[in-house]
Amino acid sequence: MLRLFLFELFKLFRLRSARLGLLSAFLLPFLWALAPGLKEVYGLVLASGWQVVSLSLLAGMEFLFPFLVVMAASEALGSEVAQGTLKSLLLRPLPRTLLLLAKLLAVLLYPFVLLSASFLGGLLAGLPHGLGPFYGGTGLGEGGFAGAGLLTPDRALLELLRAHLLAGAVLTPLASLALLYATLFLSTAAGALAAVATLLLMRLLVAFPALTPFLLTTYLDLHLRPQAAGLGLSLLFIYTAGFALLAVLIFRRKDL
Amino acid sequence: MEALRLEGIGKRYGRKPILEGVSLTVRPGEVYALAGPNGSGKTTLIRLVTGLAFPSQGRALILGEDVHKTPAARRHLGAVVEAPAAFYPYLTGRENLRLSAYLTGVKEEARIAEVLARLGLLAVADQKVESYSLGQRQRLGLAAAILHRPKVLVLDEPTSGLDPEGVDLVHGLLRELAREGVAVLLSTHHLQEVSRYAHKVGILGGGRLLDEVALGSREVYRLEAHPLEGALALLRALPQVASARIQNGAILFEGEREAVLKALLNEGYRVEALYPQGFDLMAYYQERVKHA
Repeated sequence: MLRLFLFELFKLFRLRSARLGLLSAFLLPFLWALAPGLKEVYGLVLASGWQVVSLSLLAGMEFLFPFLVVMAASEALGSEVAQGTLKSLLLRPLPRTLLLLAKLLAVLLYPFVLLSASFLGGLLAGLPHGLGPFYGGTGLGEGGFAGAGLLTPDRALLELLRAHLLAGAVLTPLASLALLYATLFLSTAAGALAAVATLLLMRLLVAFPALTPFLLTTYLDLHLRPQAAGLGLSLLFIYTAGFALLAVLIFRRKDL
Repeated sequence: MEALRLEGIGKRYGRKPILEGVSLTVRPGEVYALAGPNGSGKTTLIRLVTGLAFPSQGRALILGEDVHKTPAARRHLGAVVEAPAAFYPYLTGRENLRLSAYLTGVKEEARIAEVLARLGLLAVADQKVESYSLGQRQRLGLAAAILHRPKVLVLDEPTSGLDPEGVDLVHGLLRELAREGVAVLLSTHHLQEVSRYAHKVGILGGGRLLDEVALGSREVYRLEAHPLEGALALLRALPQVASARIQNGAILFEGEREAVLKALLNEGYRVEALYPQGFDLMAYYQERVKHA
């Protein structure tokens, strides 16, 4: 199983969407560090390199990172269908469940790698602004970007790591959902579009207040609300596991 | 025990039947060729046999194990289901085979070199598959299929895209594998080529197995008699005649020559000629498909 997972991971990072995603996540912080309109849009004048890291996370999580994760997860299966290698794999004495679980683990790891690339890019792009103590905030803790006095590098790093980990957790059900749709449609584009459409539809369900606490989309900003992590992480895990279970059930009887 | 056994297997999509109630067996060392026009259900049958698709009815057994219920049954199966066979283009031929070896539990590295040599691919083994020609990919597909010494080999159009040397290589290999005891099921449009070594030919048409022809044991006679139609009707009524049909102004029949001759003379038919004729598989196939 470990070798199968490692192979799936290797294949995942050969995908165009996965590579493009990593490159974008790494390079975008440099763009943000040079953006002339930050004050107008975010009310922010960069005071520290740590703020570049958090700005990249906040901007990326609005749409780009979820989209990149959905694309990569969908392509993880869709590309194998398109190039015919899925059939070759299924001709081997390998349970379908095992194969899909190996793929699932690989795509669940991808959001964390993507966010690591963003984090690393943010640190490098933020170097000219310095990574020492500063008066202000990361935008993720008390007082937003204005902060609440002097912020030490340890504290800033801690806030950013926690936010990136929570953001990674937020993205995992999206990866699972995209893999579910890719299993259903056996196509990268259809899988990704269906996942995005589902999220947009879920967002519309805010009109039903009783449902709101249980909607996946309610927790897409969990990295900004660590106080909601208890219920949020549990629900995200349930969504991830539920989508994965459905994907396995479909894949086990899927004609190829 | 049969190496491969299909029991009334069928597939339908919605209300539309693609394949209905196909039963056949392939014994160890036997080559079974599936023939049929496009859309007759050959590829669907191959997908069902290999476990890639699930049957709406019936089951497929490999050495007694249901291929759809027991994934481990595929440890005995080698298969190429696409032409050209699909591989990871960014890996070399050897690396792709290493992956197949890992997934099928083959531990000897020497076996990889052995099958590469057997398929004439050693020279390109360390090149990425994306640079392979269609024929090379097809041969690599066969190499991957036989890597783990399967007992059942299932091939969809194995000579598709190959040059004449490649075609000879594949036919030679299949003969050799059959001699070693491997049961081979293949689909083909090239009946003349496979009839040289296939033991049975299954003719598919309209999603049904129309006929099974056991090659090698077929003794066919050509009869020129008058009146022809009446003679044909008589032959068809005889229990000693397995099949009879008109072709080019004569009757071709399989059965006991003496019994036929006696019956014709008893009924007053004029027999102008009666002699053995080699079994013309292609003509027989065309006849069966035409009347399907």
